[in-house]
Amino acid sequence: MNLDTQLIWHNDFTTTSFDAVIIPGGFSFGDHLRAGIIAASSPATEIVRRMANDGKPVLGICNGFQILIEAGLLPGALLRNSSLKFVCKWMKLHIRNNDSAFTCKFEKESEARMPIAHNEGRFFAEEDVLNRLEAEDSIVMTYADENPTGTSRGITAVTNKDRNVVGMMPHPERASDLALGGTDGLKVFESMVEWARC
Amino acid sequence: MVNQTFPIEIIISNKPQARDPEGETITRDLMHKAGYDCVKDVRTGKLLSAKIEAQNEEEAKSKVLAMCNDLRLYNPIAHTITIRARN
Amino acid sequence: MLVGDLQTTLTPEELEYGRRQLGREPNALEWALIDAEWSEHCSYKSSKTTLSQLPTSGERVLLGPGYDSGVVDIGDGYVIALHIESHNHPSAIEPYGGAATGIGGVVRDILCMGTTPIAFLDSLRFGDITRSDHSKWIMKNVIRGIADYGNCIGVPTVAGEVEFDESFERNCLVDVVCLGVGRKDELLLAQATHPGDSVYLVGGSTGRDGIHGSTFASRTLTADSESDRSAVQIPDPFTKKLIIEATLESNTAKILRGCKDLGGGGLATGLSEIADKGGTGLEVCLEAIPIREPDMSPIEILISESQERMLLVAKEGTEPVLSGIMRKYGIAYARIAKVTNTEVISIVHCGRLIASLPTSFLANAPIIHRTSRVPQFRKPVPLQEHHVDSHEVLLALLASPTVTSKEWVYRQYDHEVGIRTVAKPGEADAAVVKLPNGKLAAIKVDGNSRLCQLDPYVGAAAVLAECCRNVVAVGAEPIAFLDHCQFGDPNDEEIFWSFSTTVKALADFARTASLPCVGGKVSFYNQDELTGTAIKPSPVIAVLGLIEKPEHVTKIAFRNDGDSVIVVGNTEAELGGSEFNHLLGIADGAAPRLNAELEIRTQRSVLECIRNGLVNACHDCSKAGIAAALSKMAVAGNKGAEIELERESVRIADHELLFSESNSRFLLTTKNPREIVNYLSSLDVPATNIGRVTGDTLRVKLRSRELSWSVEALRDAFHNSLQRIMEPWQK
Repeated sequence: MNLDTQLIWHNDFTTTSFDAVIIPGGFSFGDHLRAGIIAASSPATEIVRRMANDGKPVLGICNGFQILIEAGLLPGALLRNSSLKFVCKWMKLHIRNNDSAFTCKFEKESEARMPIAHNEGRFFAEEDVLNRLEAEDSIVMTYADENPTGTSRGITAVTNKDRNVVGMMPHPERASDLALGGTDGLKVFESMVEWARC
Repeated sequence: MVNQTFPIEIIISNKPQARDPEGETITRDLMHKAGYDCVKDVRTGKLLSAKIEAQNEEEAKSKVLAMCNDLRLYNPIAHTITIRARN
Repeated sequence: MLVGDLQTTLTPEELEYGRRQLGREPNALEWALIDAEWSEHCSYKSSKTTLSQLPTSGERVLLGPGYDSGVVDIGDGYVIALHIESHNHPSAIEPYGGAATGIGGVVRDILCMGTTPIAFLDSLRFGDITRSDHSKWIMKNVIRGIADYGNCIGVPTVAGEVEFDESFERNCLVDVVCLGVGRKDELLLAQATHPGDSVYLVGGSTGRDGIHGSTFASRTLTADSESDRSAVQIPDPFTKKLIIEATLESNTAKILRGCKDLGGGGLATGLSEIADKGGTGLEVCLEAIPIREPDMSPIEILISESQERMLLVAKEGTEPVLSGIMRKYGIAYARIAKVTNTEVISIVHCGRLIASLPTSFLANAPIIHRTSRVPQFRKPVPLQEHHVDSHEVLLALLASPTVTSKEWVYRQYDHEVGIRTVAKPGEADAAVVKLPNGKLAAIKVDGNSRLCQLDPYVGAAAVLAECCRNVVAVGAEPIAFLDHCQFGDPNDEEIFWSFSTTVKALADFARTASLPCVGGKVSFYNQDELTGTAIKPSPVIAVLGLIEKPEHVTKIAFRNDGDSVIVVGNTEAELGGSEFNHLLGIADGAAPRLNAELEIRTQRSVLECIRNGLVNACHDCSKAGIAAALSKMAVAGNKGAEIELERESVRIADHELLFSESNSRFLLTTKNPREIVNYLSSLDVPATNIGRVTGDTLRVKLRSRELSWSVEALRDAFHNSLQRIMEPWQK
């Protein structure tokens, strides 16, 4: 995609001068205590918070989503999968919202295929919070068919009020190569470029 | 005697001689980094909070111990359990 | 056996040898070091001579057996490192920690070559999970352990196999294979070659966990094993991930001259092995070793098998760079030894010499010459007429634990991390991962313990042949293999006979195939002392293949209606050792024959067809025969087929045709059936067009009748059975 990107070690992430930031998946701090909680209080997350407040696109993928929630930048909680097992599977997704920084290139109400791979991906919030998220159109993606982790209302990606911060459990970077299974994930990154331009 | 219900807690954690990487990471990377030096050590465990029917508290505790061993609720190779009555 | 106060597994002969060679009585610490290094698990004293039969050289082989990992040149300045490890004894008593630390161990072997780990495979053997809750418990926790560890360090588990048999009830087998990739000019060896270099201990702290782990693995499991508390290790994948990054960064910074993982025998074996390989000595400063518990004795410190520790041999003067890297990742490190030219391992404590042994004496245990005896000859059972409902039998076989889909297992493994996995679990006969030079690696692991029990020679060769066949089926050329020989007590002459026969079989086939063995392991003592049950002979083989171009990658799914289905190879009436016989409780006959030359010719010609773009799907015929193979292709592609086997069913009975596990067979689908059949026939490789892909039903026409199964029914039997066994309460 010809973007100028850098992979930065968390302790070296000290400047807010980038145009966008992506917090990738993984097992930060071994997922100890609760996925994302230890990383959420690290200095790097402070930089992310300032970029988010500046309106820059911030994407949290899987563990990144967990970190954004624990840092208070996105609503809800991510609990252990109801099957109590890690799930690695390609899922059919329903794109509910296409005015966020990472979905503006998708057609509204369209479908996409991307893989999930996690143990703590069950999105949870109480009914009144869920209703508010629906009313505010903050639900970005849901599972279209099966819901292997038991997330509330099939929710698998959410955004903030300003639409610049998005957290998603599926891995778009793993759906960006036909040889690996599909290219729907590319639109997530293309959206980011489009948004940053506007 | 009539059976009563006793609240019994079961705590399953790594044996003291075994490392507890989760506890170590929480202490070092969360608590100490945020300045809570007063924390000397943290060990993690799993808590099961059960209601046990028995004639007295001692019986309740020994029923629970027998069950933990029988069902392999913990693995004596790696874990230790504490069984106590909840007040 | 007691030497002074020390429990040892050494025999009186070995103790005598030790005293004689050294010229004096070793002190307690020295005996402990010798005991660790000369244990079966670390020294291979019973097996070295036998293993020397295996062919180990080839034009691509850079490092063969005897190193932490085998290393193969894949061109363009890149190499692949591969290794297989097991954690059988620990997993049998603490399956979660045992399996997880098994993964931790094999990844260190890859890391210490200076390569980046890119894939895992697991090969597991458990008791009968349809009857034994204990085996279910072991299996659940082994898989959870592998998943938690592998997923956490971000290395995908891309393929594997699971086999079930009563002989594994108390002695499960947990094998893990790791693949690494790196640059040839950054290859590291586990040796200390330059006097003046420093040896650093990095990673986790040294505690009392895991003491006597290697000697634990060199004894049969007993009733006391359950309370063998110190022999189990605690997994810490988070620290491991940091170590992986730090080691690779140190290597790229060109400050390392060697790297060694600390596994069986801890520092005792790690230090002696790097010095022995480098032809040097070491002066070890005991108090420099960071310990977790304050009052550990020198013996405990040196034989501890605490996890997540590595030795780094750093060039003189590079400490500032090394400490910078270690601090960046928050890893503990300590300089614990200096490389000397004395060829002696000296342990010094606060200035006082407390142990001193010549390097090569310590590192080279005396070879034990074991005797073997051929078991009582088993007469083949004459084949009887059975009334077999082949329709029901196929569904039952597809649902049986060894044959059925292992989706319940691989859904728990992150097989996508690293974005290299082109052929994912369940999609093809082998896993396929991208390599940095544009080529792809195919990797598969296989075993067949029931067959090896029936006939160790043919069985072992057949396992190696099948593994190669699987790699060929995805479009790869086999270039190297690993072998893991797992048996019971080697003191039992019949068991030792089956071990040496197994190795001979592997050597014979490998030589005919020009396939080098680049590494492996031997694991003895997989035997339950209480019941006297030894495991069935379990050679587990991993084959690495190379795919030149992405368009060669071939999967098993039926793709297009109208594609022709071709069977390559002949099916004979050979149900011995088969899943069919096991299902029906039939006493076994003879193992299916293997003609090595035909097998190799068949594989090479099928590969040629794939490379020429003629093949749409390919699946080898193995467990549960041609019927199961057709079913799996149908389920994967969600398409049926019309298959005509009338001509074949004149020769042999229907159930023999459908379920025999004859060797050297493939199923292909293609739009060019005539081209393929003509080409193969010209090379004397049997090939027949047997039908075409169509509809949603698998129909098989035999001489006397037609059988049919809906793809839905096949899918249900194949994909949902393991879930039903492991979690009967789930819908």
